[in-house]
Amino acid sequence: MNENRKMRRRGVSYAKWGYIFILPFFVSYIIFTLTPQIMTIYNSFFENYRNGLTQVGPNFVGLKNYVKLFTPDKSGTVDVLKYFGNTVLLWVMGAVPQILVALLLAVFFTSYRLNLKGQQFFKTVIYMPNLIMASAFSMLFFTLFSPVGPVNQVLLAAGWADKAIDFLSLKVPVRVLISLMNFLMWFGNTTILLMAGIQGIDQNMFEAAEIDGASSLQVFFRVTLPLLAPILVYTVITAMIGGLQMFDVPQILTNGKGTPDRASMTLVMYLNNYLQTSKNYGMAGAVSVVLFLVSSVLSLFVYNTLSRQYKEAPRKRDRI
Amino acid sequence: MKKIIAMLLALVMVLALCACGETAPAAPKTEEPAAEAPAAEAPAAEAPAEEAPAAEAPAEEAPADSEGKVLNIYAWNEEFKGFFEKYYTVPEGVTVNWIITPSDNGAYQQKLDEALLNQATAADDEKVDMFLAEADYIQKYVDSDYTQDITAMGVTDFSNTYKYTVQAASDANGVVKGVSFQCCPSALIYRRSIAKDVLGTEDPAEVQALLNSWDKFNAVAADAKAKGYLMTGSFAETYRVFSNNCTMPWVDENNNLQFDPQIEAWIDQTEEFVKNGYTLTAGVWDQEKNDQMFADGKVMCFFGPAWYFNFCMGNAMDPEKGCSGDWAICEGPAAHFWGGTWLLAPAGTDNASLVADIMNTFINNEEVCSKLVSEEAQFSNNMAVNAKFAEDPNYGSEFLGGQNDVAVFSAMTDNIVWQNHTVYDQLLNEGLQNNLREYFQGTVDKETALANFYKYINETYPAIVTP
Amino acid sequence: MDNRESRKGRIQLIIARTVAYAILIFLSIACLFSFYMLIINATRSNAQLQAGFTLAPKNNFFVNLKNAWTDASIDIPRGMLNSFLIAAVSAVLTTYFSALTAYGIHVYNFKLKRFAFYFIMAVMMIPPQVSAVGFIQLVNKFHLTNNYLPLVLPSIAAPVVFFYMKQYLESVLPMEMVEAARMDGSGEFRTFNHIVLPIMKPALAVQMIFSFVSSWNNYFIPALLLDKKEMKTVPIMIAQLRSADYSKFDMGKVYMFILLAILPVLVVYIILSKSIIKGVTAGSVKG
Repeated sequence: MNENRKMRRRGVSYAKWGYIFILPFFVSYIIFTLTPQIMTIYNSFFENYRNGLTQVGPNFVGLKNYVKLFTPDKSGTVDVLKYFGNTVLLWVMGAVPQILVALLLAVFFTSYRLNLKGQQFFKTVIYMPNLIMASAFSMLFFTLFSPVGPVNQVLLAAGWADKAIDFLSLKVPVRVLISLMNFLMWFGNTTILLMAGIQGIDQNMFEAAEIDGASSLQVFFRVTLPLLAPILVYTVITAMIGGLQMFDVPQILTNGKGTPDRASMTLVMYLNNYLQTSKNYGMAGAVSVVLFLVSSVLSLFVYNTLSRQYKEAPRKRDRI
Repeated sequence: MKKIIAMLLALVMVLALCACGETAPAAPKTEEPAAEAPAAEAPAAEAPAEEAPAAEAPAEEAPADSEGKVLNIYAWNEEFKGFFEKYYTVPEGVTVNWIITPSDNGAYQQKLDEALLNQATAADDEKVDMFLAEADYIQKYVDSDYTQDITAMGVTDFSNTYKYTVQAASDANGVVKGVSFQCCPSALIYRRSIAKDVLGTEDPAEVQALLNSWDKFNAVAADAKAKGYLMTGSFAETYRVFSNNCTMPWVDENNNLQFDPQIEAWIDQTEEFVKNGYTLTAGVWDQEKNDQMFADGKVMCFFGPAWYFNFCMGNAMDPEKGCSGDWAICEGPAAHFWGGTWLLAPAGTDNASLVADIMNTFINNEEVCSKLVSEEAQFSNNMAVNAKFAEDPNYGSEFLGGQNDVAVFSAMTDNIVWQNHTVYDQLLNEGLQNNLREYFQGTVDKETALANFYKYINETYPAIVTP
Repeated sequence: MDNRESRKGRIQLIIARTVAYAILIFLSIACLFSFYMLIINATRSNAQLQAGFTLAPKNNFFVNLKNAWTDASIDIPRGMLNSFLIAAVSAVLTTYFSALTAYGIHVYNFKLKRFAFYFIMAVMMIPPQVSAVGFIQLVNKFHLTNNYLPLVLPSIAAPVVFFYMKQYLESVLPMEMVEAARMDGSGEFRTFNHIVLPIMKPALAVQMIFSFVSSWNNYFIPALLLDKKEMKTVPIMIAQLRSADYSKFDMGKVYMFILLAILPVLVVYIILSKSIIKGVTAGSVKG
């Protein structure tokens, strides 16, 4: 009797648990993150910076910071758009190969048919670059590609160059290096995420598909990919967010300057420029708000398209 | 889950054991300053030593002493800390707390600013009691109310300190707020063997006569090139020599950015030098330049003060590939100084007399200043002590082929002037060099390089009006 | 199975395996290269490092190790312990509470459910650098500098980890399971701790590694909050070492420090990565 009554009132009586379960998260979030973030947005409408040890402001200036942000310079470039372009380019160059390779490796590792030996070794190794601090990793690359570094030594010795190339002063090499480092640091991480996702899929599905005589490609596209969709969406979105927030690797590799000609300056590096010396909370706030708006739009777009596309696919098949 | 936590805990314990047998390390809470003070007194203290003074702490606290027991010193590297620990004895019961923040990208100034702005509300033992500052940004602190008059604290004898070091630490009204423990006249450091080949002589006086103006210097650069050498190893090598002799500050009274003719002259000279291959496009601190200090290096001239030998010329002293002894110094085309570390007294310190005693020790204690010269290869900020070494016929630097560097530096100090400095100097000098470097390397044109420099200024100092 | 496979299939399999191994070996070399350079550099003295680059190790390893381990101003053993404490506590808090939150939103129906989900999704995109400034001001206001609390407590709210847990639950947790537990009279917390968490083991392990590593390598915030010598973490110490003056600037020691800084995370990673496999093979995912 008692239990029956509970069952009937389930919707009401369990709702309380939902709130209890999410309470710690929200309390911690509101105190440690939301409050500072709201201060940031609020700041973006004020002139508020430090000149030496003298505080200027806060004085309310309305949208002046945003106007300044989108005012083109003498040559007609809007800085913030240029840095946004740099960020997207650097992200695409690193993330596309990263996700493709990770997907491939995750399938290798979880494939019963391939049954690869030494998996533990490979899994350990591919994640290892992520364990090195970005600063140390960048320092290594910096030494490797410096004008007196080993890459130049090899090029000179082999006669492929007649004088040392300063890679870090050239647009394309700097961008390629940044993408390469991001790829190396993160593809293992992505592989593990996807692998855990594939391992979470009911193994019966694979066995059934195999008995039905499906080829590896068919299994991948018809079974693995649709069922992996939630985790894949997660991977793409977090990779994108991580990409838009790209900071430490280009910051350290170019010593915060985004050389050459600010062509490897990302949005967050730009934000950081305002925070460093001048504590310009006004302009930094405005950059953050722009960054926030851009990433929200992109993420919702990706989330909606990817989850719709893949979520519906298996359901439809189920019905048939 | 449990297993994982258990494993983590096990690892914590293993690590704890590795930690040199320290006792009770797993207390992440903020410790009471009183309990912590004696422990930090002897950094290498083993467990028993750590426990004993801790027990005494309450008793020690009792005597009414007007001064605090914790001395907080802010610095950006370990250089002064080393000298301090060797040559200064802290009174019993006082703990010295070094707060060291790297100066990369202005991080040290940020940390220090935060502390100074909170100085009024901070607890006595958390207050900044002394901090270090470099020539390039000392003015920011000297001109503020966050530093105090050291003559009122008991540092009054500047008869033996070099004038420019006092000027640098004085505010607009002439109130002295700090002292420097070193004096940094910067010399032209040249390779004797290359000078002999290019100029026909390696004698410092004769070399000086051949290089005592920019016209001569530039002409010799061509000769050096003709013989297969480089005049300097970095595009910014001569920057200090020009910028120290500027006739106007970086900004005018309305905060408009202005280029001094000396800065323009540096740009012109560097353009010429890079175009003709008289120098490298490496930065002043880059390995590419430092590699030129080996015996097989091609660079004839470097510029630097006394600290430069130890600090930057390790390659030259390398036993296998170096060329120790093949060097000499002379004043060069123009008098200038480079760097220097000042000790400043913040307002609100609760250790005023101790801070004053430290300052007095490093400028007026003859024994300490002498040790700085003889043991640490510094050029001290005490004229009497330096004169003693300058006149000593037995004193000479092996690295400089026996030349008495103290004598050369002493002669140069009279020509150093402290003028036209602003609170913006460090980052403007850095920013100009970094942005123009791309132009010298040929990546961008001059206009773009300058435009990028202005962008950098707008981000760094919103108050400065750029063209 | 083997008998049924045709000859063609077997050849295909051999080719596929060869390609897979080739790709894996190539990537492994690329990954190991930087470690190799680190280790080689850690075996060289400062003078040898300044002299140029080689691929062959030198004999200065133990000298560097001794220098790094016993450095008077940089107490690396203590730093490793501090870092370990912070990283371990953060990792546990992050994974547990993110899973709890994800479960709360996945399983229950309540008025603010949609709002809560989209709220977390939206805030996930705000770069951490944005809140850092306000965060430091906040911590200063509450006089919590030189305290580990502001370093570990915020990890309770990790939107990105929450998102992962939510996505994971979506793909592995059937509602019938929760309902079955309820029928058996299991309380809500009991269901979560004893039935749901074991199912989520692979996800928990994965996120634990990630948050441990990111906390271990975190420099920005701790550097602004910790200045007491005995409370500093490893990345702060390494930055400090790099800023030490040139006469003591022993690059061999710096590389040794970096090597030491990586070792513990490597150990934790290897331990946890095994438990991913275990979690899956135990079959708790099937349902």
